Amino acid sequence: MKNFLAFITVLVLGYMIVVSLDNNEAFPAYGEADVSSRVSQAFIDRSVTEDPGDIIFGQATNLESGPANIVTAIVADYRSFDTLGEVTVLFVSSLGVALLLGGKKQKRLELNFHPNFMLRVGSRALFGIILMTGVYIAIHGHLTPGGGFPGGAMIASSMLLLYLADDEFRAKIKGFKMLESFAGTAYVLIGLTGLLLGGYFLENLLDNGVIGDLFSAGIIPIVYVLIGLKVGSEISGIIDNFLTEEGV
Amino acid sequence: MSAILLIAVPLLAAFISILFKKYAHYILVFVSFASVFALGYMDLGTITVGGFNAPFGIVLILDDYSLIALYIVNTLFFLVAILNCNEFKKVGSIMLVALAGLNGLLLTGDLFNLFVFLEVAGIAAYLITTTNKKPLASFNYLIQGTVGSSLYLLGLILLYAMFGTLNMADMASSIANSGYGAGVTAFPFLLMFIGFGVEAKLLPFNSWTKGILANSNRLTGPMIASVYAAAIGFVFGRLLTNVFVIEDTFLIIVTIILIFSVVAGEAMAYASTKVREILLYSSVAQAALVVVVFMSGFTGWAVYLIIGNAAAKLVLFLITNTATKQLGNDDVETFKGLFVNNKVIGLAFTAVTLSVIGLPMFLGFVTKMNILENMFVSGDYIWPAIILITSVVEGIYFIRLLLNLWYKENDLPEVKFEFVLKYVVVIIAVLIMVFGVYTEPVQDSADNLVAYSYIEGGNL
Repeated sequence: MKNFLAFITVLVLGYMIVVSLDNNEAFPAYGEADVSSRVSQAFIDRSVTEDPGDIIFGQATNLESGPANIVTAIVADYRSFDTLGEVTVLFVSSLGVALLLGGKKQKRLELNFHPNFMLRVGSRALFGIILMTGVYIAIHGHLTPGGGFPGGAMIASSMLLLYLADDEFRAKIKGFKMLESFAGTAYVLIGLTGLLLGGYFLENLLDNGVIGDLFSAGIIPIVYVLIGLKVGSEISGIIDNFLTEEGV
Repeated sequence: MSAILLIAVPLLAAFISILFKKYAHYILVFVSFASVFALGYMDLGTITVGGFNAPFGIVLILDDYSLIALYIVNTLFFLVAILNCNEFKKVGSIMLVALAGLNGLLLTGDLFNLFVFLEVAGIAAYLITTTNKKPLASFNYLIQGTVGSSLYLLGLILLYAMFGTLNMADMASSIANSGYGAGVTAFPFLLMFIGFGVEAKLLPFNSWTKGILANSNRLTGPMIASVYAAAIGFVFGRLLTNVFVIEDTFLIIVTIILIFSVVAGEAMAYASTKVREILLYSSVAQAALVVVVFMSGFTGWAVYLIIGNAAAKLVLFLITNTATKQLGNDDVETFKGLFVNNKVIGLAFTAVTLSVIGLPMFLGFVTKMNILENMFVSGDYIWPAIILITSVVEGIYFIRLLLNLWYKENDLPEVKFEFVLKYVVVIIAVLIMVFGVYTEPVQDSADNLVAYSYIEGGNL
């Protein structure tokens, strides 16, 4: 009966979505939205404060927002405050995992297989490559697709590899906690510096440089590296919590 | 002082506190006290984040409405924190995040930013409820809360696809200037309404409430029923007054949901034999009533309804959950005669209950009376009738409860209430009585709030 009611509810909801959006004059068909009347056009043109004219990759300087990657410009500059919120969502989630699963004396969960010598050594060789790719992705977030969140997830996946390939491995969780705390604190402090010196929280105070350079876009690469470190250490902490159990 | 500090400082403290776990609860008490204190030094206005003006960047709105909301929520939060900091040390850092999330919810003027803070505050709330030691109920809350906020997000995505903006004020004026009928936005608004309905405990989206509040402890009861309820009420009010366009079919659907919530909430409270269930079902009815008053446009009185309720539920849940912990369960039978040896606590409990019912001499009466008066003046007769009938039901079950708690000859339950708790509940009860008798400031501020808050979508 319960399942049947749920099924009916889903059908009604689906019907309502179709009815309310089909022939809805305000809802544009796919590909037909008039972007020029939307806020996103200003993000693409970097013309929120003033119109910079044509932006040429590798030449344009002093833009209001420096990242060559438009997504990064929106996520980490125009709407950076949302990103601070998302970082907090992950932070509180990892706190929750630690609250529910963490304890004082933890030991590794027993795996049903014992990894051989080759697997242990091979995974350590691979670990460095994955870790460096993650760092690269985080550092180049303002130039290429990627950034702190995917980069951090890659850093954590290199830790996961070590955990899965070696049944005795445990990372130094205390270090992760410190890194997590440091990165979060630094992010908020950068924001507060902006408030203190520029008048706006999270304002980009540094020079934006030439669009497309590695050293450009002011605080954004710094913030993205901090996010990468924070996400990496938080997810590593979660992995450790899931792969350990209470005991001596 | 910039209001952004109300979000940034608790967040900063939370990030630091994970290194000093032993002191996290002290940091919590200090930061939550500082937040209340700092509110006196805040400048009203729009606060731009990141240096990009609305609607391109994110803005926070500090007007009279959000200032009152911040005062209430931060003060209640501080009281809950200081009364529980020693017993629930483990959730210190999570409470700090919750404080940042709640302040963000109340301040933000951006619909997507609102979603982010809804998630932050929501996840913190799920984790705080794990101290109930009822994992299944917390899991239920987690799933329903997440589905609710996803529905809010889906509604927001549809609105963004239609109007291409996320700023509340810009969204409201885009909708008003677009010239489309209310029909085009009804569905996204319905999704957002349902999303908030889950958090605001409206029936039929509130099945998590019973699992959480009926098993609550001294932290989770006041936290969810008072602090979170107040915050969600204020944010819901902001959306209902400034952003949502509620007309035609949508109005009918919403009205049915609300009538159902009020009537069923009071009926279930009437049928309950456990103290906490009576309180939680009464909360459900009150939450729906708040939404009704906001929708009718009496913002000032809706604010007082939220304040009265939040203060009352703080006192009621604190007393009930302290007693439940010492007595083992919360059947009305067990509680019989509780106040015979605890007269001070009993008087505070009684005063607060009578205010919730809406008897004269208490704040609840002033609020209910003015709401009914305003509704009659605006020609609405259905809601006043429903409110009056449910008030009678409310009166019956609350007075029945009070009689049970006050009268018993022998074999009285032994419960000790600590000094700080006595202090807090008595002060709240006295305030409720003072403003119930001396009604001028309440009357003035409620009328003024209607008059000049909310200038075009809250952009000052």
